[in-house]
Amino acid sequence: MADTHLLELDNISKYYGNIVALKDVSTSVNAGEVTCVLGDNGAGKSTFIKILAGAHQQSEGSIRLNGEDVTFANPREALAAGIATVYQDLAMVPLMSVWRNFFLGSEPTRRLGPLKWIDKSKAKRIAKDELMKMGIDIRDTEQPVGTLSGGERQSVAIARAGYFGAKVLILDEPTSALGVKQSGVVLRRIVEARNRGLAVIFITHNPSHAWPVGNRFLILNRGQSMGNFAKEDISLPELTQLMAGGAELEQLQHELEAAIRESSPQS
Amino acid sequence: MTDAVVNQAEASAGSAGADEEKQADERLTYRGVFQRLFIRPEIGALIGVIGLWAFFWAVSVPFGTAGGTASLVDFASSPLGIMAVAVSMLMVGGEFDLSSGAMTGAMGILVILLSLEVGERGGAGLNLWIAIPLSLAFALGIGYFNGQLVERTKLPSFIITLATFFVLIGAKLGFSKLIVDQVQVGDIREASGYEFWRRIFASEWQRNHHQWAQRDRVFLVLISVIAALVLIAVAEMQFARRRSSGSAIGVPVLAIGAVTSVVGIAALHRTDSVAGNVLGAGLIGAGTVVGLVGLGLWRFEPVGDRGGIRLSGRLLQWLVLGVVSFVLAMVIAAAMDPYDDTNLFFPFTHQGLRATVFMVLAGLGLTAMSLSLVHARRVSVMTRTVVLAVLAALLGVMAFFVRSQSVSVKFRAEAFSVMLAVTLVVIAWVVLGFLFTERNSVDFRSDALGTRLLVIAGVLIVVAFVVRLLFTLPSEIEAGIIPAKFSVRTLWFAGFTAVCVFVLGKTRFGSWTFAVGGNKEAARQVGVPAARTKTRLFMLVSGAAWLVGMLLAFRLNTIQANTGNGEEFEYIIAAVVGGTLLTGGYGSALGGALGAIIIAEATLGIPSSRWNSDWRFLFLGVTLLLAVIANRSIRARAEAMRR
Repeated sequence: MADTHLLELDNISKYYGNIVALKDVSTSVNAGEVTCVLGDNGAGKSTFIKILAGAHQQSEGSIRLNGEDVTFANPREALAAGIATVYQDLAMVPLMSVWRNFFLGSEPTRRLGPLKWIDKSKAKRIAKDELMKMGIDIRDTEQPVGTLSGGERQSVAIARAGYFGAKVLILDEPTSALGVKQSGVVLRRIVEARNRGLAVIFITHNPSHAWPVGNRFLILNRGQSMGNFAKEDISLPELTQLMAGGAELEQLQHELEAAIRESSPQS
Repeated sequence: MTDAVVNQAEASAGSAGADEEKQADERLTYRGVFQRLFIRPEIGALIGVIGLWAFFWAVSVPFGTAGGTASLVDFASSPLGIMAVAVSMLMVGGEFDLSSGAMTGAMGILVILLSLEVGERGGAGLNLWIAIPLSLAFALGIGYFNGQLVERTKLPSFIITLATFFVLIGAKLGFSKLIVDQVQVGDIREASGYEFWRRIFASEWQRNHHQWAQRDRVFLVLISVIAALVLIAVAEMQFARRRSSGSAIGVPVLAIGAVTSVVGIAALHRTDSVAGNVLGAGLIGAGTVVGLVGLGLWRFEPVGDRGGIRLSGRLLQWLVLGVVSFVLAMVIAAAMDPYDDTNLFFPFTHQGLRATVFMVLAGLGLTAMSLSLVHARRVSVMTRTVVLAVLAALLGVMAFFVRSQSVSVKFRAEAFSVMLAVTLVVIAWVVLGFLFTERNSVDFRSDALGTRLLVIAGVLIVVAFVVRLLFTLPSEIEAGIIPAKFSVRTLWFAGFTAVCVFVLGKTRFGSWTFAVGGNKEAARQVGVPAARTKTRLFMLVSGAAWLVGMLLAFRLNTIQANTGNGEEFEYIIAAVVGGTLLTGGYGSALGGALGAIIIAEATLGIPSSRWNSDWRFLFLGVTLLLAVIANRSIRARAEAMRR
């Protein structure tokens, strides 16, 4: 790796007491690229996100942003450095309108003497335009976010992160609770975000969602890195195989076949 | 596959510019004006306020007179109204404050103890100019303490403020006994600086001392303007804007209609003869319809396909139920003796039962007709016109029935005019709906215009009733009208509500309040200072309690140690009735104010209808239950996933 990446992780480890949650994980992401982090349940994906988002600090290893070593003490610092995290279920306030959600925490205001109020028309206009850029046509930004579908909610969160100057966008299993069609919508947003020059880290346990959008794949299993591949170095079947733990899956397959053979003569 | 995804994304982004494409979007369905209005959290409370008012106005004598209104407004204002608004804000932010009731009395006691002379009566001897800000600081301190404790311990605010509640009760009683050796403290009248602060917290307006001969003329003009504004606003929001440029004939027609209406109003006001009344009412009606048609010709798209009449299934069912209810109401009312005020069975007299049955059946009929209208709208323009025409006819018959059957002036004159006016509006609607297309897509410009007109109308309604309530006519004084007193407390209530509505709806703090109540973790994720927001909400409630404490102290002069204890539940009821969710994240400050008015109406209306006032609590309980159930369905609708 001669040139510097936008965000680079070097041999990150995380221990909780004597438990090894993450061991020597390295990957990188560039602007305009998608790095997918794949892993089954308990593979260490959540720990990985929390370190990047500033919720936890790594025990060993270093994070480099534009070639400089950084540590984030809390989520605010990560956000200020341009790393925005969209959590699957914590993204939105369902009873609030789309535009209020979009600008929550950073509302544009107008001022008259001591009075300060939200510039509602500006906020609505920007929210509508930004969502339009992502290809989501929300006609009335007054509608509560709760009336949007799961895919659209994720999309609004992605658009928001992009608008507020995120350079790195971390998506925590954005497609896991969604149907096929909705997942397609979210994957399209990821491509949109990538095309607008964001570096995207896409966490998922579904290789067929990761494969079409990813430029680089990091596979985690039980806290260990199973490899960090560029897209040209790996195929979808290999990816699936690796993710499921390779040898373990073969073992499981043999056991299942044996079980079926045993039970079939009797029936 | 990646390329395909990108192409699709680009295609959808590219197409978004064209308006036709947007309207073809099958995911969004258009909601009409009334449907959108019903999504507002406070709309149920508003209907409750108007419905209860009409009910008690009809069945009780003092309700609706200037004196009755004065006591109603005062009861609704303080302590109930101010606290209900503040508690609504806190509940939107997802927390409770059970100490709020006890705090009102505590603040009153505190200011009196601070300002009383040092000596055997045991005060601190401070000037009110020092004692009042000091007590405010103390109140805000309690709020800060509540908020910080809830935030730091992460315990439910229910428990924390329950503790504060008991601390305050104990402190009130303990300090009162310790310092003045009584369970009440007073008298604030003896404090230095009293005269100035009495004007701030306890001035009164004697209605009978303020005469204004022009009052009714001003009132009439205002009401006419309001009616015109509301009609135009709803028409703008309900009908589709013309696609081609407007027809120029519309403007003069509109002008002719407006002038005719004004002439009609003038005629109605000048003569008292039956012929004059009929002429005036006829002119107003014709003018309104002509004017609205003119407006339509100028701005709205003419109707294309009216379709045929199909009265099927549900529609017919509701229509029949509506007609039957109206007819039954009139038959029963006609059959019963209006003069018999002997007791029939508790709690009704013959007279009272007659009025109640009539109102309930009429209300049922109106509801059924509205439901049938909802179904008719989906069938065809023609069907809708027929149902609306039936409704207009029923309302008209009803108006004349009320006029002919009633004994009191207020039914013969006031109720009759209101019902005629409603009939007129429905007739105008029949005509407009028959000629012009209702909108079926979003039009932000029309909506903005309509909303603005409605807001102006709302302000004018308040002005009109304030004018009517604050001033007397010389003729009324001669007739010996009962004096009515309005207090500055109502002004505090109105001002506080206005500030809270502004803060909740328009400021960043308001947005954050909704956010921390709706999903605190999500709010924190995007950088909302959740702990600070909640603490400030607790301070808002304790600040309101301070204000109420001052108003109580200057109104009563002496305050009992148990003042305010237990009232916090009424504040919560008012907030919930006003549409605020118990779980937070949804609600309105205005709703809290309306909820307070509902409670005040019940509290004063029940005894003035000669029912036993003990029924009040039963009423409160039932209201709360109904409000919570209604809220639940609102929330379900707001949160529901689209398909």
